[in-house]
Amino acid sequence: MSGSKKDPFFVGYLSVPEGLKLFLIATVALLLGCFAALALTIGGTQDDPGDGAFRFDWGRQTLIGILEASPYPIVHVTKGTKRIPTGSTVLLSGNGKRGVQSRTTPLDGELVEISGVAIKRGNIEMLQLRGGRNGIKKVAGSVQMPSSKLLGRWRLSGEICDGKCFTGTMRPGRRLSHKACANLCLINGAPPIFVSSAPVNGTRFFLLVNSEGEALDNKFFHHVAQFISLEGTVEKRGNLHLLKADLSSLKRVP
Amino acid sequence: MGTVSNVLMFAEWWLYFGAAVAFYFLTVGIERIDENARGAYVFRPLLIPGVLLIWPLVLWRIAVLERNKPEGFGRYRPLRTAHGYVWLVLFFAIPAIFVTAMLLKQTWPADIPAVRLSPAEAVSQ
Repeated sequence: MSGSKKDPFFVGYLSVPEGLKLFLIATVALLLGCFAALALTIGGTQDDPGDGAFRFDWGRQTLIGILEASPYPIVHVTKGTKRIPTGSTVLLSGNGKRGVQSRTTPLDGELVEISGVAIKRGNIEMLQLRGGRNGIKKVAGSVQMPSSKLLGRWRLSGEICDGKCFTGTMRPGRRLSHKACANLCLINGAPPIFVSSAPVNGTRFFLLVNSEGEALDNKFFHHVAQFISLEGTVEKRGNLHLLKADLSSLKRVP
Repeated sequence: MGTVSNVLMFAEWWLYFGAAVAFYFLTVGIERIDENARGAYVFRPLLIPGVLLIWPLVLWRIAVLERNKPEGFGRYRPLRTAHGYVWLVLFFAIPAIFVTAMLLKQTWPADIPAVRLSPAEAVSQ
């Protein structure tokens, strides 16, 4: 073995040798300082997660409205609650990372009763449905489907998010660290939301569909969580805005 | 095939090779390079997860120790020396990776306005 017999040797359960005290104090101080600086830097560079949240405090919401199953299930509310008033348009999702297309497709265009937990962020609302017929069932009556209004063709900058996490299930439910989660939600049928950096007709949130007005194909998923610009037609259906986007116009912004 | 598929396939094959190395190392190799392990079996399954991940290092160490079997502390000297270099590299690499990530991070395009390309009337439904 090399080294003098007088070399100090640290043993955890014994007193610190004189020769190592200064080194130990300096190391501990340096590490504490570095970790504090790192924590401040990481914390300070995080984005505001926004006001989106599960609204368990509202209690179970039971609404009646007309179901539009395609491209993504939405309900135009004809009989609302104090929290989600008549005239609202709500997105639908299942538990976990699942859409509800298998339950809503047979009821397309019907008057339905939906029940579940509300999720809300800004002016966008979603209902996470209860299981089976407790979550959605047809009710008697008929109501006219709300008319849609075309608002022109636009170039918007922003981010593609999954509608469930972004609306409030996850905090934060966006940006690059959330990409894999968002894609899982989208692949399983959660509605995609385009979050625009600038408002159109008073909203920054758009249900994102392809240029034909159909559900997104997988090619869009590569661009989820990046900051991009897109061109497409904006349409207002009920209280919800749709962006019919051209994938060929998609560009990554610096 | 996309980048993600390639990464997953690479990870899958890495683990297959790791499993093969773990099987060899924990049944034959460990007894050839470390006499203290002879007759001791219960701890061996605990090494499987580690070997799955660092199997190239395990193979390299088996090869080195098969060629030359230093006694006592000499067996660990190369690893302890390498540890110092790795520590030094990580000391610079981790902050460099962190700073690079911060510099490459996209910024929210708050200053880019929404641009109307055609009026509402011009769009046909």
